Amino acid sequence: MKIIACYSNKGGVGKTATSVNLAHALALSGKRTLLCDLDPQGASGFYYRVKPSKKLQHDAFFKDVDKFTKSIRGSDFELLDVLPANMTYRDFDIFLSRMKNSRSRLKKALKAVNNDYDVVLLDCPPNISTLSESVFKAADHIVVPVIPSTLSERTYEQLLTFFDEHKLGKKKLIPVFSMVQRAKKLHLETMERMHKRYKKTFLNAYVPFSTDVEKMGVHRAPVLDFARNRPAAKAYCAIWEELKQRI
Amino acid sequence: MNASFVYQVEAKTLNTGLTSQLGKKLGKYRLALDVPEHTADVQLYDCFDQTIQQSNRVLYRSNDQLTLISQNGLAITQPCDQPVNFVAKLAPGQVKTELADVSPLRALLAGTKGLQKSVQGKLLDGNAKTVARLSIQCWAASPDSNWHCFITFEPVRGYVKAQQAVLKALANNKALQPHQVLSPTLIFNALGYIPSGYDPKPTLHFKGKPNAITVASQIIHTYIDVARANEAGVIADYDTEFLHDYRVSLRKVRSVLSLFKGVYSAPQTISLKQAFSEHMNPTGQLRDLDVYLLEKDRFYSLLPASLHQGLDLMFTQFEKERAAHHHKLSKRFASQAYQQAMAALSAQFSANSNVIKPGPQAKHLAASYAQTLIWKRYQKVCKIARAIDAQTPDEQIHELRIDCKKLRYLMEFFAPLFAAKSIKALIKSLKVLQETLGLFNDYSVQQESLQAYLATHANKGTAQHIAIAQSVGALRSVLSHKQQQERDQVVAKFADFDNDTTRNEFRQLFKQQESS
Repeated sequence: MKIIACYSNKGGVGKTATSVNLAHALALSGKRTLLCDLDPQGASGFYYRVKPSKKLQHDAFFKDVDKFTKSIRGSDFELLDVLPANMTYRDFDIFLSRMKNSRSRLKKALKAVNNDYDVVLLDCPPNISTLSESVFKAADHIVVPVIPSTLSERTYEQLLTFFDEHKLGKKKLIPVFSMVQRAKKLHLETMERMHKRYKKTFLNAYVPFSTDVEKMGVHRAPVLDFARNRPAAKAYCAIWEELKQRI
Repeated sequence: MNASFVYQVEAKTLNTGLTSQLGKKLGKYRLALDVPEHTADVQLYDCFDQTIQQSNRVLYRSNDQLTLISQNGLAITQPCDQPVNFVAKLAPGQVKTELADVSPLRALLAGTKGLQKSVQGKLLDGNAKTVARLSIQCWAASPDSNWHCFITFEPVRGYVKAQQAVLKALANNKALQPHQVLSPTLIFNALGYIPSGYDPKPTLHFKGKPNAITVASQIIHTYIDVARANEAGVIADYDTEFLHDYRVSLRKVRSVLSLFKGVYSAPQTISLKQAFSEHMNPTGQLRDLDVYLLEKDRFYSLLPASLHQGLDLMFTQFEKERAAHHHKLSKRFASQAYQQAMAALSAQFSANSNVIKPGPQAKHLAASYAQTLIWKRYQKVCKIARAIDAQTPDEQIHELRIDCKKLRYLMEFFAPLFAAKSIKALIKSLKVLQETLGLFNDYSVQQESLQAYLATHANKGTAQHIAIAQSVGALRSVLSHKQQQERDQVVAKFADFDNDTTRNEFRQLFKQQESS
């Protein structure tokens, strides 16, 4: 079982869209997939029409394996299950910091579902905190959506610095350009510059800025379901194809 | 992870009130169905002896897909764009692998036809989220007959309440009949499948304490039926087993006539033997050619490639000859004269017939009559076998084989009169000995008939003849060597058979007490 985290230390970069669509692409390619919605806003769950869990209160997620597995919901798509967020996930940081060996708890909880899934995809909340740190430890790979803008470039540098300072393995990081507008010169220039600077770390495939992604909220479904042949849907498949080679 | 539950309902059309009825009982959940417009044709396949149905499986072809459903309701499929005949000729795939137990000699025959439709149902909650799935498999024998619909409920992980609601609605619906799994039996019933009922070795049931003539006539009557059941298959030339079974059955009939001495009057026995020989003889050459052609690959593997040219020529001739013999026998089987002769023979042996002239042993109680015959034959087998050593001529081995065969027939014929478990075990140990003797005989017969073939066929004096003669010569020497190997096994195999337990069992079952 591979654990892939979808993470960004900046909000509004298309992280949830990436998690939701990547999870669907994975399942379509035959991988038994569990999408864990760790974001307190529960957006991943919303797109999959799954209601937030009442069972996973506070530390239950880490302590009670039975509750954890019972909270998993089958999605409308074959091979894809969803672990819906609970609003109290926002308290995770506090609970985690109080718990001993916090950094390995998450991994232990996920081990309980080891036999059911090929890939567990974590949709993470957007701030570097205890939860995120434990996610960094638990994940085999961390997909980082980056908008090709100056601000995002800076945020990505900060993430790298954080990894350096905390002696975390930077090799886990798999950045991918998100919300790309090819009409914008700045986007193209930034992409070219960052590709050069972080040789071979960024995926070649990228997520274009797309109304289809925005329409996910209307359809309450991943883009591959309702706009299969559109650029955004194709992009997520291409990302998974490239990701497969790396993991 | 996902336990399934199957409910059955019979309906005239697929859009019956069932689903709306069901829908009303589902509370806050909504049922959405996806009913396809087209139905698919289904064609069942099985061997003539119903190997697949007997093992509680269904094999069918639909839309260029071959599907096998096992006892536990699990279905596997593989693409199939070629005509279905022998398992060995199917493209590699899961279904082919699962059918490994089907005899390579038996063809898969197209049987019952029907129609199929798969309806997918979804149970949706207030968010239009799928919280349970229903798969409805519908089968019908014909467009006019009722659909048998099997509703399989598949829960979605984490939606326990929805699961409970559906199960309650299904369980409370009186029109629905619950099943553990969608088993082959349910599908057979839905398609109105009628088994061919063919059994090459039917179990005989004797009433009360029958006398010898009753048993003899019942066996003969049964095996004439078995033989005749194969006629159509021989004519259609589905596989070689039809003719083989036909011959085995007639051989059994003839064994009864020769082994049950004194049951029928002497002149009656002679005329019956004559009549059955006349039916047996026209089948011999076709069977011999069948055996050669079945052995084709093995013959090639026994010889080096340099000698294959002769085999090519020989087998081309065999195939031609076989076609001619098959044509001749088919004509014979289809003829009115033959059909009438067989029907008349069969009628003589029916339960209420009294045309047959009884012999002095006719009224002998079958059980004690059987004991005498079997005990005698067993002692004869032992006597011959115990005397065999390296110097014994081959004729003696042949005689042992024939006596073992007669002993086996006697035991099988009379088996219903004795304790099933004991007699089955004895037959089983006899079979092992017979296998070695059978191979010994096959190698011997093949050498002889190859020699005879060479003497009578093969374009004498031509270059072709020389090539064939070379191949046949080499083949005969390989077969002779193999025959010797089997012969060397006979003493050891008999020693295995001739143990204390088997001897005691034979004595207990078949040696009559002095008083009787």
